[in-house]
Amino acid sequence: MVSDSQSDEPVLEVGEFYQLLIAHLESGFGRRRPHWVRGEIAKVYEKGHVYVDLVDAGSASSDTKRPVLNAHCWATPWAPLKRKLAAEGVSLKPGMLVSFYGYVDVYAPQGKIGFSITDIDVEGLLGDVARRRQELIARLMSEGLLERNKSATLSPVPLSVGLVASPGTEGFSDFTGQLLSSKFSFDVVLVKTLVQGEQAPDQIAKAVAILDHHGVDVICLVRGGGSKGDLASFDDERVARAIARSTTPVFTGIGHTGDESVADLVAHTRAITPTKLGEELVAIVATWYESNLRYPAQRIIAMTEDVLDEAAGYLAERRRTMIFAVRDRLRAEERHLISTRERLVIQGRHLVASATQMLASSRQLISAYDPVRRLAQGWSIVTDENGAVVKSLRDVQVGHDVHVLLSDGLFDAQVKEKKGTPS
Amino acid sequence: MSDVKDWNDAAGELNAIVASFDEGEVSVDDLFAKLERATTIIEALEARLAATKAKVEELTPRIAQIADDE
Repeated sequence: MVSDSQSDEPVLEVGEFYQLLIAHLESGFGRRRPHWVRGEIAKVYEKGHVYVDLVDAGSASSDTKRPVLNAHCWATPWAPLKRKLAAEGVSLKPGMLVSFYGYVDVYAPQGKIGFSITDIDVEGLLGDVARRRQELIARLMSEGLLERNKSATLSPVPLSVGLVASPGTEGFSDFTGQLLSSKFSFDVVLVKTLVQGEQAPDQIAKAVAILDHHGVDVICLVRGGGSKGDLASFDDERVARAIARSTTPVFTGIGHTGDESVADLVAHTRAITPTKLGEELVAIVATWYESNLRYPAQRIIAMTEDVLDEAAGYLAERRRTMIFAVRDRLRAEERHLISTRERLVIQGRHLVASATQMLASSRQLISAYDPVRRLAQGWSIVTDENGAVVKSLRDVQVGHDVHVLLSDGLFDAQVKEKKGTPS
Repeated sequence: MSDVKDWNDAAGELNAIVASFDEGEVSVDDLFAKLERATTIIEALEARLAATKAKVEELTPRIAQIADDE
């Protein structure tokens, strides 16, 4: 230490100045005595160690006089903290409200008075993450983006599948395994992406956009189970907006049963796991196949059999009907002929009987006039010389010979006299 | 057989013949002619049905692959 000749004030070397400063700080804060400091992350940079510029929450970045705390966390304490954050799906990002636990740290080589972080209020940070997630969901809702992709028309047979996934991962295998083991020929267009880490959201968002322009039937976002940190990419606003903007239906199969990402909320259809997503896609195609191919095929077979059976039955019935109709008709004619014949016989008999009776009557009548009978009664028949019957006085002349026929013979006589008046 | 029309027309003619028998309109003189015509139609339709069945049996296994697909 030297004295200033003008003011007699001691003049400090730089190192001395820092020693004095550190001494004052340590007397005020205590040596490495930890404190909680809360603020909003303005900048964050990680390279082994992590460096964070912390400002008062809500302060404007344009305010050049706003206080900034240069906080850092050395690699050794940072590694477990990072793992802890990652397990909860959190990484430090600008805009986050965070409480750091640490102590005042002066780094003379760079002339910095900073804050060395030893712990982070993860619970508080999670609350902030949840708040920001809710804010994102509210924004998406207010912009109508939560429902937009749900209104995209899904092909009834989504066989052309755009897949956003990381090949070789369990989720990828689970999903594609379902498609491959189905009986349907899915055409999968894969756009490889990271599915976790800082670069993943951007890659996923771009992949969705690429596949949307590719003309696939459906875009599937697939990621197997993992920590919240592993799945954080699917809570990213870029991914959510890419899904919402897509005119192609986006299906998600992300994480475990209980996970629900913002991507799930925005997507057209959400399956709880990649396996379930594959099953669901297969089920959609199977449903179409069942109702549009298999069932109609069964109906066609059944109806064809019905038509053929009905036609065969119809012909058999017509054949029987014709046989019976003709037989009946012939029998009817036969019966008619028999009946006619019988009627004719009966009528003939009647005719003969009538004739017989008539003849008998005639015979009786005629017999009454039988000359023999008359002769027997004493009547005689006189004939002239020519044999003609003498019926009138005019038939004979006096002196003519006549023959008189009696019942037992005849005798000749001569007309002696005619008496009476000729008729 | 060649003058037998399509199935529905032929079936209509056959039905008309049967109806004429049912209604007693067939004289003995017409009976044979109508029976002969009916027989011609039935045989033609049976032949057509048999040919259709043969084609159906040929096609059924192909469509059955879809129908029986589980």
